[in-house]
Amino acid sequence: MDFIITLVNGLSLGGVYAMIALGYTMVYGIAKLLNFAHGDVIMVSGYAILVFLSFDPILAIICATLFCMLLGIAMERVAYRPLRGASPLAVLITAIGVSYLLQSLAQIIFGAADRYVIVADLGSITLGEVKIDVGTIITLGASLVIMMALSLFVKFTRTGRAMVAVSEDRDAARLMGININRIITITFAIGSALAALAGLFSLFRVPTIMPTYGAMPGIKAFVAAVIGGIGSIPGAMLGGILLGVVECICNSTPLAPYTIAIEFAILIVILLVKPTGILGKKRREKV
Amino acid sequence: MKAKRFFGKLAALTLTVAVTVGCVFGLASCGGKKNVNYAENNTTIKIGVSGPLTGGAAVYGVAVKNSAQLAINEINEKGGLDGILFEFVMTDDEHDPNLVAANYANMLEGGMQISLGTVTTAPGLEFKEFSHDDNVFVLTPSASGDNIPEYDNAFQMCFADSNQGTASAKFFNENYQGKKVGIFFKSDDEYSTGIKDKFLQELSSSFTVEEASFKEQESDFRTQIQTLKDCDVIFMPIYYTPASQFMFQGKNTVKSTAIYYGCDGLDGIDAIDGFDINSITQEVSYLSHFNSGATTGAAAEFIDKYNAAYDEAAEPLNQFGAAAYDCVYAIYEALKVAKAAGKEFSVTTSASDFCDILTEVFAGDFVFKGVTGAPESDGYSRISWTAQGFVNKEAVKYVVKECTAE
Repeated sequence: MDFIITLVNGLSLGGVYAMIALGYTMVYGIAKLLNFAHGDVIMVSGYAILVFLSFDPILAIICATLFCMLLGIAMERVAYRPLRGASPLAVLITAIGVSYLLQSLAQIIFGAADRYVIVADLGSITLGEVKIDVGTIITLGASLVIMMALSLFVKFTRTGRAMVAVSEDRDAARLMGININRIITITFAIGSALAALAGLFSLFRVPTIMPTYGAMPGIKAFVAAVIGGIGSIPGAMLGGILLGVVECICNSTPLAPYTIAIEFAILIVILLVKPTGILGKKRREKV
Repeated sequence: MKAKRFFGKLAALTLTVAVTVGCVFGLASCGGKKNVNYAENNTTIKIGVSGPLTGGAAVYGVAVKNSAQLAINEINEKGGLDGILFEFVMTDDEHDPNLVAANYANMLEGGMQISLGTVTTAPGLEFKEFSHDDNVFVLTPSASGDNIPEYDNAFQMCFADSNQGTASAKFFNENYQGKKVGIFFKSDDEYSTGIKDKFLQELSSSFTVEEASFKEQESDFRTQIQTLKDCDVIFMPIYYTPASQFMFQGKNTVKSTAIYYGCDGLDGIDAIDGFDINSITQEVSYLSHFNSGATTGAAAEFIDKYNAAYDEAAEPLNQFGAAAYDCVYAIYEALKVAKAAGKEFSVTTSASDFCDILTEVFAGDFVFKGVTGAPESDGYSRISWTAQGFVNKEAVKYVVKECTAE
């Protein structure tokens, strides 16, 4: 019984990681940049929910998601677009800078201490002998639905297919009449909306936020994206769920103090065996 | 290639700066202060402390500052020590060990004669080396690390970390026989593991014990809650924020009649913004030397005085403040004892001479009546010190919230 609970917990945590990893992977696949500030969007989402919660929980969720989308678009416009074509190192350092900027702003506005954000008290349900929090089930269900929707969006809509085209060959896509700037803006908006929802779901699991609280899930989701194969949408899902399950199972055994080390060890092993990640495509280098 | 050259230059520059800064500080701290008396021009006895007045731990430092100042004001209003008045100085270390060297030097060269060390442990580990080199007396209100009183010149007002483990195990052995015990601790924090190790060592072997741990940056405790959900008493040698998160996340899963039992780190758990402690059914209590909700005895009197003098909401009192209040009075009483024993000192006595005088009293059979620790019938606790600098006093079990399960 305990194992089933641990597994459900792991799947739900994996769902959160997967949603963050999706943002990483889409932005990397399409804009070819590692947006290290992505994890901090989760934190911003948490504070946005805190601010709007006094009106209405549903309104708070919608406002927070919209706010994060705008933030993502602004981030791309102000910090990354001027650097398009610059060396990858410059873009990477800018991304780290944006991350610190967001954390410091949050600290100035809301202070350094933890804040409780209780979106709704959902209680728990009992299935046979297993007692599971409703929030866990919502997280698990919603993340699966969102991932499927995203896959369908990429496969069957014009914008989605334009995204795939930009990711595969930016210059060819531009020649085919695709507006690269528009596609990248949309990518950032979708990625940030996913991060905002991930922020909401992590509040179901842990109802506290602080300015640095997006950092660790951000890093873990990045690891998940790399394990799954960065740039691949199913890869991000697989990596996220794998990491979440491994984390919860490890935490329930005497190996608990080494959980994070084990997660990164898995990353190393996978990179050694399959450098492009589990579902990553092998790219032929043009010579 | 370009990047490589850039990093090379950066590394060289960093090294140069580090070496230069190292030289300057090295010279400053090895200048042979021992025989200099910076207090020559003092008109009061200066008591100094380094603690966090800004940053995440500011709430502790601010309480220390206010409470120590309160004690000093009271003493001075009563005419000081036969006419000798006291002065309190505090420097901000932001709970950052790197700022301690400068703070210490500023205070000492500004005429500090007696110190309260630091408010927190990490900076205290720096402070103890400097104060030992210069022979400056230290009575820290709240730096609870076991190594803080390593040298003869240092004493603690709070329980040392491992002392809390011993006191808690004693309480469990006497009160919780036959119950299933869980421990929830932070595996990368010395305060937490120090207490936990000592606790397990002293706990009677008849207990069944389940352990679960977490690390810095971790706040999702679902798996740990699964491990501990059947325990009757859950021991939490951690700070109040993760403890409240565990309680909140486990409110439907952990046994509704369980007891959460912590150490002084839990002080403040009933005042977290957004966390309603009454939303859980389990009992919450902790072992400490001070109860900021005390309503009787000297502790209550002190709380009233503090709240009259300061803004309760913005600068709340906590056990750190109470300990600082006791520290100032303990030094004052110890100086009285020394004077009665024929020791001579004045406002210009050097820090080193004060250290010799005070160390002798504190390491001797000095007993101080304070507001921290379990009170005797007169409302005051009895506090004494071992020659190693550890405090001896009775701990109080403070029930923050009774069990409300049906």
